[in-house]
Amino acid sequence: MSEHLNELLSSYLDEDVTALERMRVESHLARCEQCRADLEGLRRVVRRAATLDDRPPQNDLWAGIESRLHSPDTSDVVPFAPRRRRFVFTMPQLAAAAAVLVAVSAGGASLLMHNAATPTTAATTDARATVIPANASPEVLISAGYDAPIKELQQTLAQRRNRLDTSTVRVIEQSLTVIDAAIRQAKAALAKDPDNLYLNGHLQRALDRKLDLLRQAATLPVVS
Amino acid sequence: MTAAVSRMEAGLNLPPPGTRDLAQGDSERADVALAAAGDERAFERLYRQHVPRIHSLVRRMAGGGETETDELVQDVFVRAWQRLSTFRGEAAFGTWLHRLAVNLVLNAQKSSARGRKLFDDDSAIDLSPGRRETPEIAMDLEDALGKLPKGARQIFVLHDVEGFLHEEIAEMLGVATGTSKAQLHRARMLMKRHLER
Repeated sequence: MSEHLNELLSSYLDEDVTALERMRVESHLARCEQCRADLEGLRRVVRRAATLDDRPPQNDLWAGIESRLHSPDTSDVVPFAPRRRRFVFTMPQLAAAAAVLVAVSAGGASLLMHNAATPTTAATTDARATVIPANASPEVLISAGYDAPIKELQQTLAQRRNRLDTSTVRVIEQSLTVIDAAIRQAKAALAKDPDNLYLNGHLQRALDRKLDLLRQAATLPVVS
Repeated sequence: MTAAVSRMEAGLNLPPPGTRDLAQGDSERADVALAAAGDERAFERLYRQHVPRIHSLVRRMAGGGETETDELVQDVFVRAWQRLSTFRGEAAFGTWLHRLAVNLVLNAQKSSARGRKLFDDDSAIDLSPGRRETPEIAMDLEDALGKLPKGARQIFVLHDVEGFLHEEIAEMLGVATGTSKAQLHRARMLMKRHLER
């Protein structure tokens, strides 16, 4: 008798064999009692493995998880990919950024105004829209970087809205309402305490969440 | 042909294990969206729904004690919270969480055991022919699983419990597909013999 089938038995059980291998296995099984017994044993193991019950932890782990949700120290978690950086700016940094934005925007607007041969109303409108005064409030400075992508994603969502799953759209809109409320509260608080770094970060996180949610909504599969 | 289909055709007549209980209902979709927007209560509901399955997966994959398993499970959910914004909804949330847990366990083991061979025999069940039979009742499958060599155990869990394909397992573990198949057969035979004792 030829040698036993060994791992070819598992492949046969998983239907992961070629036609030729199948013939060889079945021919061998017809003659070999040990391989037939092994095959039955393997079949029982696989059947039992697929019906293993799930068992909850002996202790409730939620408290430990919850305490780490907003903890900056998550270094004990093995990273899968580089984490997306979150930027929190100080007031001087925001002011400097605003000054650069004003200069760039003013330069662009100036070029457009001097280009009499091809005046473009839309372009000049866009250029004006990016001009932010250097003494603008923190919420204006922070929001400036989010306004355009949020507007664009909102337009995309509006265009796709009727082709998405209605329950999903409802959930997204409920979430957006919650986030918008958080943004309004953060802006109101910043108006009273413009130099508060925590509030700056809070507003930025809320805007990040809105942007993330809209990005998700923009890539949801349409209902056929 | 997928492993799931092949299992059905092989006469096992079982649902693909990796897809058990992973259906995503409306309430779960709502909780995922709310959690992605920062709602901790919604995330807690997701945790309570999925923790039995994730805890079992991590315990079987890591093969450690309850404390180590608990720590890894906490890491899985903290990581899930941090990465919820990357969940696109293309697969069920449970499937996404599952994959995240598998990757985290494998990465944790890689970082804690650099230089060690994945397929060593140090912790293998003793199957030598002269082994003295004991009067003990045959061990439960979970216990037998815990005594498999690490590499064979992980492949057995990923393939036969969780329903991953050999190609996927090979990619996750950084081994050849043939190695995955050979280790799966080895694990099954060890389990079979152990359960027949």
